[in-house]
Amino acid sequence: MNNLKKEGYVIEAVTNKGYRIIKAPDDLSASTVQWDLHTNWLGQHLVFKETVKSTQLVGHELARENADHGTVIVAREQTEGRGRMSRYWDSKDGLGLWFSSIFRPEYLEPKRASQLTLVAAVAIADYLSKRDLDVKIKWPNDIFINGKKLAGILTEMQAEQDAVQYIVLGIGMNVNHQHDDLHETVQHKATSIYLETNEIQNLNQVLTEILKELENKYEIFMGVGFPVIKEMWEAYAYKIGEWIQVKTKDIWDAKVVGIHDDGALKVIDHLGKQHHLYSAEILWKGEEIE
Amino acid sequence: MLKVQEVRELIKLIDESSISDFTFESNGTKVTLKKEQGEVVSVNKTSNPQPVKETVETTPVKAAVQTQAEPKEEVKEEKAAEPAATESTDYDYEIVSPMVGTFYESPSPDDDPYVKVGDSVDNNSVVCIVEAMKLFNEIEAEVKGEIVEMLVENGELVEYGQPLFRVKKK
Repeated sequence: MNNLKKEGYVIEAVTNKGYRIIKAPDDLSASTVQWDLHTNWLGQHLVFKETVKSTQLVGHELARENADHGTVIVAREQTEGRGRMSRYWDSKDGLGLWFSSIFRPEYLEPKRASQLTLVAAVAIADYLSKRDLDVKIKWPNDIFINGKKLAGILTEMQAEQDAVQYIVLGIGMNVNHQHDDLHETVQHKATSIYLETNEIQNLNQVLTEILKELENKYEIFMGVGFPVIKEMWEAYAYKIGEWIQVKTKDIWDAKVVGIHDDGALKVIDHLGKQHHLYSAEILWKGEEIE
Repeated sequence: MLKVQEVRELIKLIDESSISDFTFESNGTKVTLKKEQGEVVSVNKTSNPQPVKETVETTPVKAAVQTQAEPKEEVKEEKAAEPAATESTDYDYEIVSPMVGTFYESPSPDDDPYVKVGDSVDNNSVVCIVEAMKLFNEIEAEVKGEIVEMLVENGELVEYGQPLFRVKKK
């Protein structure tokens, strides 16, 4: 504890609960990120905010004001962090990373744009895997470690019938959360890099390395297309070969086979018939029904 | 010549492969299979033609209908016969889905729908969301007018090019 304090941590004792790190030594800062960032274009225009409602909202505003391709919005804290369908995403200062990237892809049909969510998942998975974490991607793009969620991706697009105007891709990642920092409703199903490694992370470093991976995977996707990404994705696939439940109009059992050439989830039903899922509620707790 | 079952088997195999064209010739019978935009179209040319047409396990790709200069005659007539429906059938533009996905009428289940029948929209008005693989596409009206009909229900799976709303331009 004292060693941690020497290193610059500010630690608060909470009665009956333990300790809470109030301030980490390597706080997120615009200058540090810019200094460490070795990308060609992603994040080279960096918008740094102390507190925002959500980096996605700022991303949309900036994109509407013609922000450049590759603009990245980072906030130390989000007060109304959003997940899918506006579900709340806990995003307190110093604990995690929440940032949104603006993409303006040329020559990408809107109907192919959803593949970008898988591209981003592969980028994050590659980063974590280089740190020796056993990472899995739950289709299409949730990042899991040891069966618990570590990061989520929310991608929003403005497009016309045949052209993408812009895409705002938001990533939320639990980094320095300790067990008590996670909301009690998610403690059993969420994790953080700290909880998996026992090491407090430098947020600036995690961010710059993920941006580097993301730029690289985006270039692969735009340059050679989805097949290469698909292969990488499948190497991280969660619950492949296992039975899950799919909720479309009814709830039915399906076995995960892989992903289709366009990124759709490929499953078979109990009759062996193959289905491609683009959008469905998937109940991953297959164990319970087996 | 090939049995229907064999052709079916072939279609399935080709559908799952990267082959886009396949021709098989034997005893004057020629079978050509062509994959077009993810759809398998089968043509069986023989002197004794047996129609074989199958669409296998893929998403049907419909032609994108961006605008419709004039409403189809039959629609007008059919609706005119119903006394209840009056202005609601008068439209001159359809907002279509740019991708396969789930149609959402509101930003979240707790929010009000983006638009209702009778609402005025302009080019940049968001009218709904279509989601696929967790990409949320905010669909803009791309036209100035009034929403006269909503063609799909909240949570419904929509196809590429499927009309979502009918609009009377202003």
